[in-house]
Amino acid sequence: MNGVPLSWYLILSAILFALGAAGFMIRKNMITVFMCIELMLNAVNLSFVAFSRHFKTIDGQIFTFFVMVVAAAEAAVGLAIILTVFRNRSTLQVDDIDSLRL
Amino acid sequence: MAISAGQIVFYYLAAAGIASAILAVTRRNPVHSVLWVLSLFLHVAGLFLLAGAEFLAAVQIIVYAGAILVVYVFFLMLVDLPKEEAGPRFGAHWPLCLMVGLGFAAIALWVRVPGLQTAAPAPAAAPNTGSVESFGSALFKQFVLPFEILSLVLLAAIVGAVVVGRRRTEA
Repeated sequence: MNGVPLSWYLILSAILFALGAAGFMIRKNMITVFMCIELMLNAVNLSFVAFSRHFKTIDGQIFTFFVMVVAAAEAAVGLAIILTVFRNRSTLQVDDIDSLRL
Repeated sequence: MAISAGQIVFYYLAAAGIASAILAVTRRNPVHSVLWVLSLFLHVAGLFLLAGAEFLAAVQIIVYAGAILVVYVFFLMLVDLPKEEAGPRFGAHWPLCLMVGLGFAAIALWVRVPGLQTAAPAPAAAPNTGSVESFGSALFKQFVLPFEILSLVLLAAIVGAVVVGRRRTEA
């Protein structure tokens, strides 16, 4: 177990998730907002892996793997949408984007 | 209480990860944000290693740091960065949002169920949870249906990205 208790991982995961959530809400740049989602996903992955180690099952790691795949898909589609919005509006400030169409 | 080497490594990775996350959220230039997120992902990969998930640490570096962040960097090349940097960094209501985020962290720390510490069941045959072999056998036996569905998710993502991202031709 190399001496690191489960609660340490969970606390770290909560802090990282909170930072991601706060960043998601406070940032005005769409790309940074999008990156904060990745930050939150990573925080959750961390707690999945910690639980997987704690309960000595592989399930948490499998879930983390699935989360990673979905994150990759989400990044591809989300960035394509943001790119289209940027082409139409030539800005990425979320306050200026109040609808997807012109 | 003696501090083990694993705990020292954990402290380093946690501190560096949190610092990277704070910098990623607060930097004005999106490129700097991406680089700090890269640093965070590498430290999380280190934490995966520490938790005995070697395969996931490799996937974390290859997929997250190697593929997803490269997509972000490519995307940043397509936008007007100086103009984005000139805009406001935070919304007008950012103190409230920061409070909400920190409140979430406080709640998460408050409810960290103390009973969990002792709740770890002794599994009958403890698998070597870190090895690629046990990961692969679980993925392709127990979780084979979700795994196949994932391929549909990826296919939908590929098609969706192409359809959404293509330039409209004049009809």
